[in-house]
Amino acid sequence: MSAAGLRCPGCGSSNIVDDDLYCQAQLVCVDCGSVVSEGTLADDPVGGTDVSYSRTTEVTRKPCLNLIKGLERVKEICRILRVSSEIEDLALTHFRQAYEHESFINVTLQRKELLAGCCVFVSCRQRDWPITLGTISCLLNADQTLVGGVYQNMMKILNIQAPFINVTDVIEAHVQEYKISTQHVPEELAEDSKVLSKRAVALVELAGDSWIVTGRKPLPIMMAATYLAWQSLNPNKHRLKLSLDKFCQLAKVQKRKPATTRITELKEVLCKLGRELPWVREPVTQNDVVRLVGDILEHRHTLLTRALRTHERAMEADCTQTFALNSLTEEVAPSQISESRDQTANASSVVQPCPNTRGENQEGDGDENHQSEDPEPNWGKRVLFAPPCVLHAKMRRVERPVQNVTGDEEISDSEIDSYIRSPQEVRDFAQMQKMASCSDIGKS
Amino acid sequence: MESNNDEALDIIVTNVVATFRTRCHLNLRKIALEGINVIYKPEVGKVLMKLRKPTITASIWSSGKIICTGATSEEEAKLGARRLARCLQKLGFKVRFSAFRVVNVLAVCSMPFAVHLIDFTKNNRPIASYEPELHPAATYRIKNLKATVQVFSTGSLTVTGHGTNTYP
Repeated sequence: MSAAGLRCPGCGSSNIVDDDLYCQAQLVCVDCGSVVSEGTLADDPVGGTDVSYSRTTEVTRKPCLNLIKGLERVKEICRILRVSSEIEDLALTHFRQAYEHESFINVTLQRKELLAGCCVFVSCRQRDWPITLGTISCLLNADQTLVGGVYQNMMKILNIQAPFINVTDVIEAHVQEYKISTQHVPEELAEDSKVLSKRAVALVELAGDSWIVTGRKPLPIMMAATYLAWQSLNPNKHRLKLSLDKFCQLAKVQKRKPATTRITELKEVLCKLGRELPWVREPVTQNDVVRLVGDILEHRHTLLTRALRTHERAMEADCTQTFALNSLTEEVAPSQISESRDQTANASSVVQPCPNTRGENQEGDGDENHQSEDPEPNWGKRVLFAPPCVLHAKMRRVERPVQNVTGDEEISDSEIDSYIRSPQEVRDFAQMQKMASCSDIGKS
Repeated sequence: MESNNDEALDIIVTNVVATFRTRCHLNLRKIALEGINVIYKPEVGKVLMKLRKPTITASIWSSGKIICTGATSEEEAKLGARRLARCLQKLGFKVRFSAFRVVNVLAVCSMPFAVHLIDFTKNNRPIASYEPELHPAATYRIKNLKATVQVFSTGSLTVTGHGTNTYP
């Protein structure tokens, strides 16, 4: 409405001007000062102002919606796992604390869900509730490496320590998963889970004592222990014939590839102990050790002591024998060693004649590869039980380090030219690339 | 666990990572066309160039930043980097070798005994951490040296840390 043509309702004057008050448009009569008309407060955006109420005037902060959802997820996971209320409360506390940190406040919802799972995991560990990261990954339907990453990040932020999971505690829960009771499989293949679990625990303890467990993922070891326990509880021909693959299919669990290697390693250890059984006359091999597992596990501590003692005696006997041989061939041995082992001083190889020459004798013709190895496989062969990677050490190519490099040497032109194509080669290469791309287009 | 204090341990440096800048833009397609032993990765925007002596793999970006890996000593890394810069100069780029810095050094060592990782970690908390489901080694972080030692149950150790950085 324009100022012209308006009359002030108070005094009837037509002298009306625009006199805006802050953002409000107003028409005011000059003579009497009354406001003829006023507009709405300017520029109110549709749907409320830019500054929301919650950020200005609201006194109590409501918790973020995703935080509420995250806490619900934590409770859900706790209920699925049926953990105690103490663990649930601890998990909720950890989640609230970690959520506020900058590493987790502005991340994807998937990562926040993984955080929820990790909080439950660490709370279970802190209260000695046996659970593995694999179970949590399964529950969250996420890749174990991703979950591991979030877990380590969370531990750093919360600055807490989590005690170790004992494999023997977890294995009881693990064995429950196997569907091999009488209602699932035929009589000769069925087994009671409590009995199975007890034997599997004994096998895992034996594995722990003989360096099979440390450094390895727990799940394949548990699978191997369960399989061997199942076979040994009733070693009839049906069970012995069934491979790990078929066993997993039968029990409806997913097979883990490393479990096959763990079975071999466990059987090796069982063979070493089986040999010490006084009532066993024939040599013990991997094929027939399963029948002896029950006896071995029952007397494993005694057998371990006996095996170590036998091994010690064998080492001593070997030592004195090779020392006698060594004194006869002393001129030959050091020169052989010094030829192939140019890294170690001659003196040190002679100082330890026993293990080195034992190694030589063991490997037979003493070919270069074996002797140029550093002492690593030798120490493995000296002891009865060692981590399997040491017992079956991979042959590694020994890189000869470049001597006397200062970094500031002259670089000759010819050397550099060997890395650059000549113009003719460039043209040929470009042509070949064109032809290759044409033929690709032709094919597609 | 036997530990023989009289045995010398070989600590072998297996990898040195260094970076430097050429202070000029590099045409990756030209390098891919005229260089031998190069792999062009257009999806990532870099070229991989492998040198024979010393055995070094270099990642070359068009901004002129280059990362060299595979050397077995810091001096070798510098020599390889210089060789690479000369190579790029010969290809026609106005390269100025600058900001050479050794970023990471990796060494391995082997103990003649096995290590019980759980006991080791329990005795060295919170410096050591071990998660068997994630990684087979225990990680031992030395804060003041900014180095990380990974301890395996077989007695092997890998040590990762900064270089000496004594280059101008």
